[in-house]
Amino acid sequence: MIERVHSIGRGVFRLLRRPFSRAFDSEQNPLNYLGALTVFFLWIILVSGIWLLIFFRTSVSAAFDSVEYLTREQWYLGGVMRSLHRYASDAAIITIFLHVIKEFVFDRYRSVRWFNWVTGIPLVWIVFPLGITGYWLVWDELAQYVAISSAELIDRIPIFTDSMAGNFMTADVLSDRFFTLMAFLHLIGLPIFLVFGIWLHVFRLNGPRINPPRRMMAAVLLCLLVLSVVYPAVSHEAANMAQTTQVLRLDWFYLHVFPLIQSWSPGWVWVLLIGISSVMTIAPWAPPAKELQPAVVDLDNCNGCKRCVDDCPFGAVEMVPRTDGLSYSHEAAVDSSLCVSCGLCVGACPTATPFRSRSALIPGIDLPDRSAAEIRNNIIEQAAPASAEPRVLVFGCKDDREAGKLRRAGANVITVNCMGHLQPSYFDFVLSRNHADGILLLGCQDGNCNYRLGAAWTEQRIARERDPRLRKRTDTTKIALSWQAPWSDFTGAVATFEAFAATLREPPVATGVLTS
Amino acid sequence: MKLLREVLAYAAFAAVVGVLSVWPRYEMVSQDEAIISFTFSHAGKRIGECRTLTQEELNALPPNMRTLSDCPRERHPISVELRSGDALLYKDVLAPSGIWSDGKANVYRRIVVPAGSHSIFVGMNDSGIDGDFEFQAAANIDIAPGRNVVVRFDEQQQQFSIR
Repeated sequence: MIERVHSIGRGVFRLLRRPFSRAFDSEQNPLNYLGALTVFFLWIILVSGIWLLIFFRTSVSAAFDSVEYLTREQWYLGGVMRSLHRYASDAAIITIFLHVIKEFVFDRYRSVRWFNWVTGIPLVWIVFPLGITGYWLVWDELAQYVAISSAELIDRIPIFTDSMAGNFMTADVLSDRFFTLMAFLHLIGLPIFLVFGIWLHVFRLNGPRINPPRRMMAAVLLCLLVLSVVYPAVSHEAANMAQTTQVLRLDWFYLHVFPLIQSWSPGWVWVLLIGISSVMTIAPWAPPAKELQPAVVDLDNCNGCKRCVDDCPFGAVEMVPRTDGLSYSHEAAVDSSLCVSCGLCVGACPTATPFRSRSALIPGIDLPDRSAAEIRNNIIEQAAPASAEPRVLVFGCKDDREAGKLRRAGANVITVNCMGHLQPSYFDFVLSRNHADGILLLGCQDGNCNYRLGAAWTEQRIARERDPRLRKRTDTTKIALSWQAPWSDFTGAVATFEAFAATLREPPVATGVLTS
Repeated sequence: MKLLREVLAYAAFAAVVGVLSVWPRYEMVSQDEAIISFTFSHAGKRIGECRTLTQEELNALPPNMRTLSDCPRERHPISVELRSGDALLYKDVLAPSGIWSDGKANVYRRIVVPAGSHSIFVGMNDSGIDGDFEFQAAANIDIAPGRNVVVRFDEQQQQFSIR
């Protein structure tokens, strides 16, 4: 059932893929940086908000005028800052929404990732009140509507003895202190919780991607700047308690739930909000992901080099003092509750080399379900001449749906848990022992790797920029990397394979990264 | 060409942000309607009389708890009714708040009414005795479209206001 839901969601992402992949290279594709883009929008909100704060006056009578001053008289800076503040807030809702949907449909919320998923839910509960309190501060007709509706919602919580909404009936009962409270919540209280929440959200990740590429940041900022100049954010008329605004220009990103307060009731809106949050909170266990066999450490082969710790995307490996009396100071230890069995630690282990001939291939760290020795045996078994020439050995991610097509196209296909699962000496082993004429790596593109860092580590190891590095004798023109977006239909993989095979028939000229 | 597509993609993104931040418009009340906001927070009378403690009873109490009278905490529910002419806009019996039923009863309602002339009547009974309202007010008001008429109980003046 849940797989069906994931599948439908992936179908939606496939629809998005076409225009985005036509417009952007992989490293500039905003769909690959949704979380990081949200953080960047928060930076824009912070900087523009500081400017607004300088001129904002927290009182019933002066709040509206101070915002009008910024919007009208200081339009060239204050007005632009106000619009940036608003549009960046709106854009953040888009990226948050897509981020949540993407993590869900690609099943990146279960197993050990439950923590990142669950800690993201309070962030949503902080972001919305943050935006809503921002609308209060303008104190125009929209603010009046938002204030009364929010108060109606809060009044439904059965802990207050007085009606909060009653405070907005006439101007004489509304005090400046109330604005001070709202300003405190919007400027200090909620942002502090937000920053802490973001830290909690990513702190289990190794090397979380906090910032998008600079070019993307510049493009997004320019995009919002142009929007701010062309279509500046403006207020409604000043709030008037004696009057009800009949037609409002609602910001649907933040205020979409407000019309329901009137058309349903505050109680049912709470049921909706708490219901959605509850369903999301239990989603990682409903149903739980398949049990994974965590990586295991073999102390006889572990020299405590720490590369597995550096490369683990989820911080599941740590170094602890040696327990077996060998002369190394530390040994690797796996926290099975954090291990996703991606194999990136095996790919980082210098002892996971297939060239061993005198001793069994037991690396310092290995996956019980897909051992390094098993992969070496697969390579040797599939070294027999294939139907097509030249012989191309394809390594594909275990969930790769294109493997069957490639097999029919004449390729020997070996699946691994992630491209980063392969230690680079395997490529040397394949080529130097003549198990194939070329190697095609078919994995998920950077930013969409199911295990976050597999594509990045693989590229860096092959480029000899990261340990363990590919040996210099290995001809990199015989290794092609084909990174696919996870929402891709992989139709290009066969074409990529054939193009690579064609290059192998002719003398190589350069190293290339093939994409489709 | 790729750059042009990129620019178009960002422009589309900006358009989505710009449009959904103000559109579609939301009609809260239609052009010929107005609002009556009815709100108050008021404690009903206590369900029993207060009793003056004797000197012996006072002496038996710790010094910090020696109050002269002993009053029951629980309060009566409040009956309330709001009418426009013959039309009943709101009627309820409001329970006191708090786990000991000793707090204020409160109400807040936003009622959409057609614009035009209204004879508004509001009444409240806070003693639990059947019969006439102990607090009441009436007013004939010509309500313009979009106007917000507030009917509330002023705790200091102990009377309703309609304005």
